Amino acid sequence: MAKYVVTSQSVTINAVDLSADCARAELVINSADVETTDFSSGGFVELQGGLKSGVLNLDFHADYASGGASETLEPLVGTVVPFVLIAGGTSVGTDTPSFSGSVLINSFTPVAGAVGDLATFSVSFPTSGAITKATS
Amino acid sequence: MTDITALRQAIATNLATIPGLRTDSEVPDNPNPPVAIVQLEGIDYDGAMQQGLTTLMFKIIVIVSRQSDRVSQRSLNDYASQNGARSIKIAVESDRSLNGNAMDCRVQSLTSVGSLELNNTEYSAIEFSVAVYV
Repeated sequence: MAKYVVTSQSVTINAVDLSADCARAELVINSADVETTDFSSGGFVELQGGLKSGVLNLDFHADYASGGASETLEPLVGTVVPFVLIAGGTSVGTDTPSFSGSVLINSFTPVAGAVGDLATFSVSFPTSGAITKATS
Repeated sequence: MTDITALRQAIATNLATIPGLRTDSEVPDNPNPPVAIVQLEGIDYDGAMQQGLTTLMFKIIVIVSRQSDRVSQRSLNDYASQNGARSIKIAVESDRSLNGNAMDCRVQSLTSVGSLELNNTEYSAIEFSVAVYV
């Protein structure tokens, strides 16, 4: 698989597979900008990469059933839990790598939605510690 | 697997709670008004990862006789109302799980009011759009 249409990312939070309640998954890895500009920078800002950080952005459908997104996330607020994100499938491979680590569940929206709309909520969890990529 | 036949039958079953309204989960050759017919209109796949959400759109066509325009219009008014014993919306949403076959369903709108010709006979008809989440 090369380019692909997103239909089957696997999203696991705290060992619970929430894929079927998840409509969007995004993992962003950032590096801090550390400025090293000096008198020899020729009038331009110079930077070096600093500490890395990550954010796991997820859009969920509200689901209060056992094992559902709402039921799973609510008691985890304030805790750091493991996550696994598999791109494009449920099994890990060279074309479907997994990214794993830990996230701080720092917010949760138990009720959201306008009248007539599907009940959904979005979360943005900062990662804690290293993010690991695997292809097997 | 989504059982579309079961969903259509469940919608028809809910509609059958309306006094005096015949129902059919499939388009009949010779409808006998007043009758509500359930048709599949479209499907949105992949609403969530790994087929966690599929949205099916159904159309309900309610056909009534035009022998008396005034009577047929009043009858359609009752079916179109958002409440009351003959409300299509109330009847369909009386069991939003559609007999356990769906996560939720909602009558979203009345999409059409007009006439319909079947076997050289003209009828009054209204159409509703129903979203079913499985």
